[in-house]
Amino acid sequence: MKVLEAHDITKLFPGVVALDSVDVAFEAGRIHCIIGENGAGKSTLIKCLTGVYEPEKGEVLIDGQNALKNKALFDKVAYVPQEIDLFGYMSVAENLFLPYEKSGFKGLVNQKVLEERAVPLLERFRIPVKPDELVRDISVSSQQLLQIARATVHEDYEVLMLDEPTTSLTTEDTQILFEIIREIQADNKAVIFISHKLEEIFQLGSELTVFRNGKKVAYSEIKDIDIPWVISQMTGRKVIQDQRYCSAKVSDDVLLEVEHLTGERFTDISFHLKKGEILGFSGLVGAGRSELMQAIFGYLPVYSGKVKLDGEEWKLGDTNYSVKHGFIYLPEERKKQGILPELSIRENISISVLEKLQSGIGISRKKESELAQEVIDTYDVKTPDSDKAIQFLSGGNQQKVIIGRSMCCEPKVLVFDEPTKGIDVGTKAEIYRLMKELAEEKNIGIILISSEMEEVKKCSNRIIALYEGKKAGEYDAEADKEAILSAIIGVNTKENQLKSE
Amino acid sequence: MSKEKAKKNNAIISALKKSNMTAMGVILILMIIIASVMSPYFLDIYNLQALVRDLAFIGMIGIGQSLLLLIGELDLSVGKIASLCGILAGMMMVNYGFNPYLSLVIALILGLVFGAINGLIITKLRLNSMVATIGMQGVYGGINLVLTKGKAITGIPESIYIFGKGNVGPIPIPFIFTIIVLICVLFLVKKTKTGRYIYAIGNSREAAKILGIKVDRIRIMIYSIVGFISALAGILYVARLGSSQSAIGENWPMNSIASSVIGGVSLTGGIGNPAGALIGAAVISIIQNMIVLFGVNVYWQSAVSGIVVVIAISFSSISDMIRERKQRKIKVN
Repeated sequence: MKVLEAHDITKLFPGVVALDSVDVAFEAGRIHCIIGENGAGKSTLIKCLTGVYEPEKGEVLIDGQNALKNKALFDKVAYVPQEIDLFGYMSVAENLFLPYEKSGFKGLVNQKVLEERAVPLLERFRIPVKPDELVRDISVSSQQLLQIARATVHEDYEVLMLDEPTTSLTTEDTQILFEIIREIQADNKAVIFISHKLEEIFQLGSELTVFRNGKKVAYSEIKDIDIPWVISQMTGRKVIQDQRYCSAKVSDDVLLEVEHLTGERFTDISFHLKKGEILGFSGLVGAGRSELMQAIFGYLPVYSGKVKLDGEEWKLGDTNYSVKHGFIYLPEERKKQGILPELSIRENISISVLEKLQSGIGISRKKESELAQEVIDTYDVKTPDSDKAIQFLSGGNQQKVIIGRSMCCEPKVLVFDEPTKGIDVGTKAEIYRLMKELAEEKNIGIILISSEMEEVKKCSNRIIALYEGKKAGEYDAEADKEAILSAIIGVNTKENQLKSE
Repeated sequence: MSKEKAKKNNAIISALKKSNMTAMGVILILMIIIASVMSPYFLDIYNLQALVRDLAFIGMIGIGQSLLLLIGELDLSVGKIASLCGILAGMMMVNYGFNPYLSLVIALILGLVFGAINGLIITKLRLNSMVATIGMQGVYGGINLVLTKGKAITGIPESIYIFGKGNVGPIPIPFIFTIIVLICVLFLVKKTKTGRYIYAIGNSREAAKILGIKVDRIRIMIYSIVGFISALAGILYVARLGSSQSAIGENWPMNSIASSVIGGVSLTGGIGNPAGALIGAAVISIIQNMIVLFGVNVYWQSAVSGIVVVIAISFSSISDMIRERKQRKIKVN
């Protein structure tokens, strides 16, 4: 019986078709897996199926009724997000039953009753904690399981949607989770299992849908397919190599050497970067790419290992030193870490080179404006004047200001962390062209962190894959997309490591 | 919406944002007119001098506090630092017979040190500035009591009275000090690298660190400056009273925050001009002065002045709300 169906749904965002006429149906008593690269449309689909987004076209049916017209139906879809969103300073029992009204607690809430009712649930999900413990004190594994238990508390759910539920689970706990999922399946509920880990899909799933570029590209029963088929479906058979933006002038001089670097989210990473080279870092969200770069930059701590820039020992843990010595990090969280929102474009540009803008007394407004205008012209920032507050610029133009500002510091290494996040397609190409120019003309070494495989393939001279904080492989620009993809999702990790050594 | 209209709207927004202080300036002038029309004594030179002498102290502390507000922090120990420095200066002069001027200089340096201690504690132990300075004001206030046993230190050399009681022409000397402090702070904020970094830190501490700004160093520096300004206000007050008392500066923490906010300095950091704090201080002082002149019942004075301060603070938040609405309109279109 089909309990949740999406008919022909299309969801548009400015400049992007996030979902393109997608048809998908989920049946009771089946475990339906969904796979796709970052940006393939999985999360948009989830948000349409849980009622967070309203699609421009198409309908969502729950138990055969149109849920877009009757939003209460979305209560039948229990969704467990990828990140843990429990209340750390409340007890396990309280977390299970919040909001109380939905779990059948009316009026005053009696802690004893809550805790008594929590016991069977904790047993069912084999969570080894007491109901009165604070959630922040229990293990991450238990928290993950607790989240799933919480989603099933509401008796009337028909669909359980799990988004990457195993990312923070140990192997043992993953097996426990799978048993539980099978029990839920036996209860005749529909389970939607979204994961990057192919082995898990083959171990658990009944059927599989593959997404690519906002489209549903393949569907099959799990028993009829194998891993290579899935990977080829995910990447698309014909590799589009129409436009490449990798640097054509890679020098032989090594610029940056990183040896056995270990920090909080990454372990024993070694790599080098040449002058004029664009080095791509590929990996899933949470693979430790940003953390690695932020640690070299001095923003996060390094536990052990060595870094050399231009053959000289690099001082770690001091962002001021890094900026002064030509290592600049362009953050992924542009709004929070990149721009100074209330300040003008002019002030955002001049901030890192103020000592060069001094005149008689203090900062020269004239020199500052000239510099800002120069950056605006060179990097084609679309703005009427440089006195406008930067928060009113579009994401792409903000990014150009940040690039221009970084160039004023005469950098040797630029780290672009998801430089095109939230930027429309046209401006993306401009950013790629800029990176290529900077590498070729200014001989800068560029590190590109991106979750979009297309982007990394298009722009990089070399690609390093990270998986769970470890180097999972190193590839040249011509390498198979399949091989890189396998590495970042943890398939054949050992083999890849051997290859890279 | 057409591009031009959007542009115009943006212009309105930035004007509104910058004009919090200007708007308060207009309101201040209106208040002065109303006060002088309604009370014949308001423009009396003795009344004006008393008023300006009062506002000099709130204004000076407010200017310091606004520096901290600009980086999104605040210091509630300013009053206690002021009275402690006043007491230390008094003890040096009276009990130990130090040269009065030397005593004042040492007290100023001690204020700088107390501020630096606040800054070090807050940055190195990663504390919330409000909670930490609530604790520190207890410490400084406690030292006050230990030193004085609650008694005022009298017998301050008359040679320093001029700093608190004197005038240059018609202008009270404490107010001249306040103007000097304002000019120095404005130069720091508007003309130097450090000033730009202050605004950067207030906008986003994370972004500032990624830009390579030595965030903690600047924070400690501002706490030190605020400690210094507090000490200056404290010793000027001692000179005004002719005695050192631990009760000096009791209302300064709250009044300094209120005057900054009235003057358009954002509590969350990054927005505002220290000159606004002086306008805010003038607003508060005139309110208090008017209450006295209009003969408001003594028991009601505090409530009335509180209400007017809340109304004055609301002006800036109302203009923020208008700004947000405009912004939303631009985004929707």
